[in-house]
Amino acid sequence: MPRPGFVLDVDRSTPPTLFWHGEGFRLEQLPPGSRVVYPPESLPGLPDPDRAIRHALLHPLGDSKPLPELLAPGMKLTICFDDVSLPLPPMRRPDARQRVIEAVLDMAAAAGVDDVQLVAALALHRRMTDAELRHALGDRVFDAFNPHGLLTQHDAEDPENLLFLGETDEGEEVEINRRAAESDLIVYVNINLVAMDGGHKSVATGLSSYRSLRHHHNVQTMRHSKSFMDQHKSELHSANWRMGRLIAANGVKVFQIETTLNNSTFPDSFEFLSKREWEWTAKDRAAYVAVSASLKRTPGRLARSVLHGIKAPYELTSVQAGEVEAVHAQTTENVYRQQLVEVQGQTDILTMGLPYICPYNVNSVMNPILVMCLGLGYFFNLYRGRPLVREGGVVIMSHPTAWEFHPVHHPSYIDFFDEVLADTTDPVEIEKKYEERYATDPWYIHLYRTTNAYHGVHPFYMWYWGAHALQHLGAVIIVGGDPKAVRRMGFKPASTLRDALEMAEDVVGRDPTITHVKNPPLFMADVR
Amino acid sequence: MKALLFERSLPKYAAAALAGRLAPGSGAKVGPLSLKHVDPPVLPGPGWHRVRPRLSGICGSDLATVDGHSSRYFEPIVSFPFTPGHEVVGELEDGSRVALAATLTCAARGVDPACAQCQDGRTNLCERQAFGHVSPGLQTGFCQDTGGGWSTGLVAHQSQLHRVPEGMGDEAAVMVEPTACALHAARLVTGDGDGDGPVAVIGAGTLGLCTIAALHGREVLSSARYPEQRAAATRLGATVVDDLERAVRRRTRSLAAQGQLTGGVQTVFDCVGSAPSVAQALKVVAPGGTVVLVGMAGRTDVDLTPLWHREVALKGAYAYTAQDFADAFAAVADHDLGRLVSALYPLDRYREAIDHAAHAGRRGAVKIAFDLRSERR
Amino acid sequence: MRPLSVRRSGRFPLARPTWPTSVPRPPVEGRTGVDFETDWSRRYAVRVARAAVLDGIGRPLLRAVASPAIEGLDRLVGLDGPVVFAANHASHIDTPLLLTSLPERFRHRTVVGAGADFFFDKRWKGALWSFAINAVPIERTRPSPRTIRLAAGLLAEGWSLVIFPEGGRTPDGWAQEHHPGPAYLAIKAGVPVVPVHLAGTRRILGRGARHLRPGRTTVTFGPPMRAEEGEDARAFAARLERAVAVLADEQATDWWTARRRAAQGATPALTGPTASAWRRAWTLPAAGPGRGKPAWPRKSL
Repeated sequence: MPRPGFVLDVDRSTPPTLFWHGEGFRLEQLPPGSRVVYPPESLPGLPDPDRAIRHALLHPLGDSKPLPELLAPGMKLTICFDDVSLPLPPMRRPDARQRVIEAVLDMAAAAGVDDVQLVAALALHRRMTDAELRHALGDRVFDAFNPHGLLTQHDAEDPENLLFLGETDEGEEVEINRRAAESDLIVYVNINLVAMDGGHKSVATGLSSYRSLRHHHNVQTMRHSKSFMDQHKSELHSANWRMGRLIAANGVKVFQIETTLNNSTFPDSFEFLSKREWEWTAKDRAAYVAVSASLKRTPGRLARSVLHGIKAPYELTSVQAGEVEAVHAQTTENVYRQQLVEVQGQTDILTMGLPYICPYNVNSVMNPILVMCLGLGYFFNLYRGRPLVREGGVVIMSHPTAWEFHPVHHPSYIDFFDEVLADTTDPVEIEKKYEERYATDPWYIHLYRTTNAYHGVHPFYMWYWGAHALQHLGAVIIVGGDPKAVRRMGFKPASTLRDALEMAEDVVGRDPTITHVKNPPLFMADVR
Repeated sequence: MKALLFERSLPKYAAAALAGRLAPGSGAKVGPLSLKHVDPPVLPGPGWHRVRPRLSGICGSDLATVDGHSSRYFEPIVSFPFTPGHEVVGELEDGSRVALAATLTCAARGVDPACAQCQDGRTNLCERQAFGHVSPGLQTGFCQDTGGGWSTGLVAHQSQLHRVPEGMGDEAAVMVEPTACALHAARLVTGDGDGDGPVAVIGAGTLGLCTIAALHGREVLSSARYPEQRAAATRLGATVVDDLERAVRRRTRSLAAQGQLTGGVQTVFDCVGSAPSVAQALKVVAPGGTVVLVGMAGRTDVDLTPLWHREVALKGAYAYTAQDFADAFAAVADHDLGRLVSALYPLDRYREAIDHAAHAGRRGAVKIAFDLRSERR
Repeated sequence: MRPLSVRRSGRFPLARPTWPTSVPRPPVEGRTGVDFETDWSRRYAVRVARAAVLDGIGRPLLRAVASPAIEGLDRLVGLDGPVVFAANHASHIDTPLLLTSLPERFRHRTVVGAGADFFFDKRWKGALWSFAINAVPIERTRPSPRTIRLAAGLLAEGWSLVIFPEGGRTPDGWAQEHHPGPAYLAIKAGVPVVPVHLAGTRRILGRGARHLRPGRTTVTFGPPMRAEEGEDARAFAARLERAVAVLADEQATDWWTARRRAAQGATPALTGPTASAWRRAWTLPAAGPGRGKPAWPRKSL
């Protein structure tokens, strides 16, 4: 019986707490009186995921017919799927997308559907490599579709490939992938790792273009999404819902399939990462010592490739299919079932250990902007109700924050860091002054379309992702970070947690309350 | 029945002494203490009762025993194998709760006529600790025949038993024994011509804090080390100081000549019993004053020159009389000393419990005790 | 004697973590005592190794030390299912003696119920005894449901069980009262009990003895017994205790005398008279086969 999440009151008998620190760890002794929020233990997976998938496809939710009834010979079917940013770390084969898509294709084959295309719904993300596609879809699907050009990746800068559908009541332009829009049926296959994923966001964001995205990927929206993980209080969510309804009104039929995962984030050899420190057995301690010592001695690139080679033994906890909104409501419940942890009251100082990976650096470098996005965008926003840290409080993140960028994946990030952040770190000003230039820069567009580069505007979105936190917080301190890189982002570097806590006291006053979020495995704080 | 048994085994004793030097409390891992299933002790005679311990504290002297550095002085007045544990609250067969005055006096030993000390009511100084119809043992918890608190059964003489008042929790009741020690120490010097000036208490573990409580009404300077101890000492009315010598100098308007105080406080309670603590006590005591050793001292290397030169009295304070013990209940209740019990452990986790007790200060704890209430009968 | 500076080296993660005081602890997950896991000692490879040790070393050794005379084996003819062997207990050599005296068909298919507190208090001891004599941990006085389940499971799998219903070695030479546990187990598992009497082992290695004193022993097997219809464990245990006493009587006198005394209810009780310690010692019967001398005084002066 997995135990629910748990808030520890640190006392002097508490062993040091494990902090992720990029491609390594720190053991930190938190001051007595601090709290540590531990994620819920992993729920049991579905005993027979393939059967559960078939069952979901045959018994759809909401106003939708079972999938086989939606399939007919001669129809045009587009299957879209989440890109490499999900799940984290990548899951062991078979990936959830492979299982679902194979089941969908089985039904399509049985119904005699000939015109089927697969589209990676990557919006402005980088294109996936063949190996990544193969991992996500499995060999059978990849080999059946890729050689014939039927496996494509959404290109948000190809005017031929986009279809403008109209404007919402709020004046938001909606433009999505033409092939998908003109299909008789879109089947969208989601992996819902966190509560934000899925719903109308799948199609309205995943298959859209900059023209469409800028209406909700902006500072104003992000500052009004408190948090963007909580759909009832998320402006990002509302905007996508408006767009989604417009898409549906345009006669685009979407059959949504959403899957949720449990918290089996790390393989057995890294089991200690998912365990509470005082329950570490001799084996766990030995594993920790061995892993952290060898990571320290391994050259950076090698350590990175070792860590990015970790495949999570995730298991499916639920599959929902059918009409988008009905499916998403159910999915959110299932995400919460695994991830919600009740926390009483806010804190003055929130500490977090940031791991080596975030949604935008799979098989890549975690550059300083992504460090900011993971900490202040994702971890900060993993709350429902109120933020874990009070207004004017301090976030202390632990990450090496090296001044290092992946030249192929993140070209515009380099310039954003050098040019934009050197000028200002205020999201509003950044948006006003620089966004359009980067978004329309032909060189970035060229790289986005032809190589594996993120779109020119993507680093801006990373910065906006943290806009709510930047507005909310009194200061941000990065422990163990490269001082130059940290200062460039407007944060304060500290060499030890103790220093960081003392610096934070200058902001929040003496004897502050401290809360540490022991992510990952992921959880979402339900702050009362 | 389950009991932690301390056996006489030289190799294990040596191992414990070594381990105990490397890390306090680790004597429990290698030493002569082990968890055993043993037969319950037999009633040695009339007036003895079976007591089922409910809580049983871990005391500094127990730690010294477990770590193998208690003095060989005790050899004639202990009997092996014994079950440690002399801070006991338990229940009798009729279900009533009692606190145990651990000293085994003439009355308990069936020695008649009682020795001179016992006749005078100074039962803690009983001269017959190795005689009578129970094996040698200065206290329950060092005697083969009586069993001890770290078990699910012991036998106690009715002279040892003090009924726990209704409404007093087990945690408070287990603090009665150390409080009685502290009360005894405080009484040794009050009315001894030490006036009502300030006194100093060195150490703020269980005994130190209990002594502060026992000195209620006096001005107490306490040198507590850890934040939790400082908070507890302050709560009990002591003035917590960082540097005892400077504080004493200020308070008594003494002069410091090359680091040596000219005056000092009339009475110093040393609740640690180590060489540095005795040396410190001798530094801050006034000429003609008294240093009371409340904590078990053991072999200590101390420069006695100030003792000689300033005519300082060095006084031991061992255990308590029946009267001290009876009065300790009120002291515990008045100062809510039950809150000093920081953590409870089952017998099965005795190694962790002893480790916790050995690092109590560092881990923000004061009294660690075994919880025997849920052990199988 | 204050701690030296090395104490910091033994900190987490090198040393075991301490447990936060605010977190309730789960009950102790025992790996010793009754919770010692002995499944491995019944695997085929281990059984072969044990058989080699028992037959190759144990038997010759015991023959040299205890020179056992084995009687009553004919009473076991026709019996080959799982059986509970219930014997009196006076010495640590009882178990190996009894094990090596068992007929071939039982010898390597028998587990021994051994006091969990003594034989399994350390993991290495548990491993040693479960290997050497195929011991399984049991409580001495009141077996827990868990132990009953384990033992009943073993009987159901075809393992026989050696058990000492007295719960421990005799402190003074007289037997102790039988606990009803073994009888209960036999009733529950529906297997017969074979009463066994061991004579002479206390002289060789009695309780508290430090040296082996080679001597002669007799192992007497009694006729298998089953609980009668409606007989409860206590009654069956009492009957079992009498059966062992009859075997002792048979060993001390002869079969016919023992039978007659049993029929009259005049079998001398193994538990001895209710009297002061010295009188119990005084009236202790001969300490072993072939020696008519009373046990007192035990040593020549």
